[in-house]
Amino acid sequence: MRNPERSEIFLRDLNALFLEATFQGGDQDILQKTLDAGMHVLGGTRGFLAIMHHETGELSVRCTAGEGWTEDAKRLRVHLAQENTRGITGHVAVTGEPYFTGNVENDSFHVRYFEDTRSEIAVPIMGPFGRIRGVINIESTEENAFDADDCAHLVALGVAASVHLTMEGFIARETALIEIGKNLTSTVELTELMHKVVDITTEALQFEDCSVFLIDENTNQLILQASRGVLAGNAGEAAYELGDGLTGWVAMHGTPIRLEDPPSDPRWKGRFTEFPSNEIGAFLAVPIISRDRIIGVLRVLRRKSFSPWFSNRFTQTDERVLTTIASQLGAAVENARNFRKLIRSERMAAWGELSAKSAHMIGNRSFALKGDLNELKHLILQLPDSLIKESMTEVLQSMTHGVDKLDELLREFRDFVVATQLTLAEVDFNALIKEVVSESFPKRSPVALKLILDKSLPPIRCDSVKLKRAFSELIENSISFQPEGGDLIIQTSLMSPEDRAEFRLAWSRDFIKVEFKDTGPGVPDDIKKRIFQPFYTSRVKGMGLGLSIVKGIIDAHQGQIIEIGRKGEGAHFVVFLPINNSKL
Amino acid sequence: MAHVLVVDDEDEVRAALERRLEREGYEVSTASSAAEATTVIRDQTPTFDIVITDMSMEEPDSGLVVLQEAIAHDLFTEVLVLTAYGNVSNAVESMRRGAFDYLEKNSPGVDTYELLIMKMAHALERRRSAVGTMRRLESFSKMMKQ
Repeated sequence: MRNPERSEIFLRDLNALFLEATFQGGDQDILQKTLDAGMHVLGGTRGFLAIMHHETGELSVRCTAGEGWTEDAKRLRVHLAQENTRGITGHVAVTGEPYFTGNVENDSFHVRYFEDTRSEIAVPIMGPFGRIRGVINIESTEENAFDADDCAHLVALGVAASVHLTMEGFIARETALIEIGKNLTSTVELTELMHKVVDITTEALQFEDCSVFLIDENTNQLILQASRGVLAGNAGEAAYELGDGLTGWVAMHGTPIRLEDPPSDPRWKGRFTEFPSNEIGAFLAVPIISRDRIIGVLRVLRRKSFSPWFSNRFTQTDERVLTTIASQLGAAVENARNFRKLIRSERMAAWGELSAKSAHMIGNRSFALKGDLNELKHLILQLPDSLIKESMTEVLQSMTHGVDKLDELLREFRDFVVATQLTLAEVDFNALIKEVVSESFPKRSPVALKLILDKSLPPIRCDSVKLKRAFSELIENSISFQPEGGDLIIQTSLMSPEDRAEFRLAWSRDFIKVEFKDTGPGVPDDIKKRIFQPFYTSRVKGMGLGLSIVKGIIDAHQGQIIEIGRKGEGAHFVVFLPINNSKL
Repeated sequence: MAHVLVVDDEDEVRAALERRLEREGYEVSTASSAAEATTVIRDQTPTFDIVITDMSMEEPDSGLVVLQEAIAHDLFTEVLVLTAYGNVSNAVESMRRGAFDYLEKNSPGVDTYELLIMKMAHALERRRSAVGTMRRLESFSKMMKQ
């Protein structure tokens, strides 16, 4: 039954809908009003508007109009993957083209839900970038109830619904970003924050699954922090090496990856995925960056599209949004880490003061003790020669040795405490290396030293006393581990671009690289992670603060030290120091 | 006999130094703080030949106070600064202000007492030659006046 003034009324309705859809994006009523306007202009018996769920590949009824709707019917779901039951609505959702029939009995797509249906028309609600968002479907008990003109009217309503849903999406995105932003400033607990980010990202931004990985500073692995679905239980465990798989690639290179059909990419490993590899249709991962360093990866996945016409690929916009979230997350992680550092540095300051005082007091006692021993030696020397004098001399030597040891420990302890207190000056780095070598490398040693110095190195700002202390430790280490002789190569150079990626050096700075490579037994893999920790030692000398002092000094210069030697091929320490250390 | 003032806030350290220096034939006085040292130095005539002072006592740089007092009283008193907690910047500062030398109390493998005795011999030599030069200068100018 056609309304004679339908064009006029329709235009009025349509205008109102567009205005509402544009300016009152959050209003749920608009979809109902759209459907009602469709019923009105087409004169249908009943109609419904269904919304697409890309996660499940289903259309579900959002609003209904007209006669015959039962509660059961309202719960109607159309699964797009099932071709024989998806009906005209499903067909439209899959093709993205409007469709109508005047006689459902002869229609190959029609699936019967209502006995009295004779004509059926359906138009798609399209989203941005060709993603289907839903379908408007109107039916009539009359045959041949709809024509091309009706179809055109309903298509216009589909566009209005699309404007509404798109606006709704934008508002959801805005809310989500604000929500994430709010959480970033108010949440100090990192794990909690990661979960919130993952939840908000997944729900509001329609990324079907989302995972956050952060690089562990000790192991240099990407560790899963938070995820949805099946991976959630693997948080803290699932780990990628840098460069491993797509996620590892992003962490290593600092550039996003946006792909369709990720398993076809040669970098793909499919080790930890939120759903089975064969269901993944699109992959998007962006680096999380804090202070110029890649600290992790934020990644989202989508399932394969159920329609051969429309892909579920991620868009440039998706990438921009995810990058925004990642950069906020980077700032938050830095925030939380700074907070932790602050607590640690306050603790260190208190500890430093305490240590300085005790070191001073112990030092004075040891000095007095040495005076006593000195005196004892003098007294013993005056005794006539005897067995007792000999024994006393032995005991005296042992005591002197003991006090010397005490001084060594004290010095090590003191160096550890003051490792991070730098006095900076501009220094010719090669000259510094030569000085260390002449001071620390013994004149006669079974170890052959080879110096390879890059003459083009610019001067660097550093604490040369502390650096010399650090390097002499590395030299002494190498010599003590090669008692039968061997080689020690000390090489300076400017870092290469590969170094920056491999060792995750800050982007905005250039670094000097100095390597200490020997032919000793090397560092076994199982202790590599521990050698820089305080009190870890495989030597008898000292209290095991040596390499932790070295690391403390290098860290204080905002540099890096890593041991990369292979077992059996000797130890290989690599140190990076920033050239332009204005931030110190 | 050369007269030495030992300034240190630790009793054991003062005792150890005093005993050793007396064995070497020095006449030794002691003070246990920069404040006490200041009084002792002012009241002492003839002045001390050598003052040995700890750096960190009441204040982290108390040694500098002793140094200043000693030199103000007699330009030719030689001052040796001892430091237990290796503090290079204070040590450098004391050299700049005219100390003869500075020694670390705890330097692994170094017998600080032996080193100190050697340094004191040098210091004494320098003081004698400086005082000698001064005397010759005085007698020279006296001669010129006559």
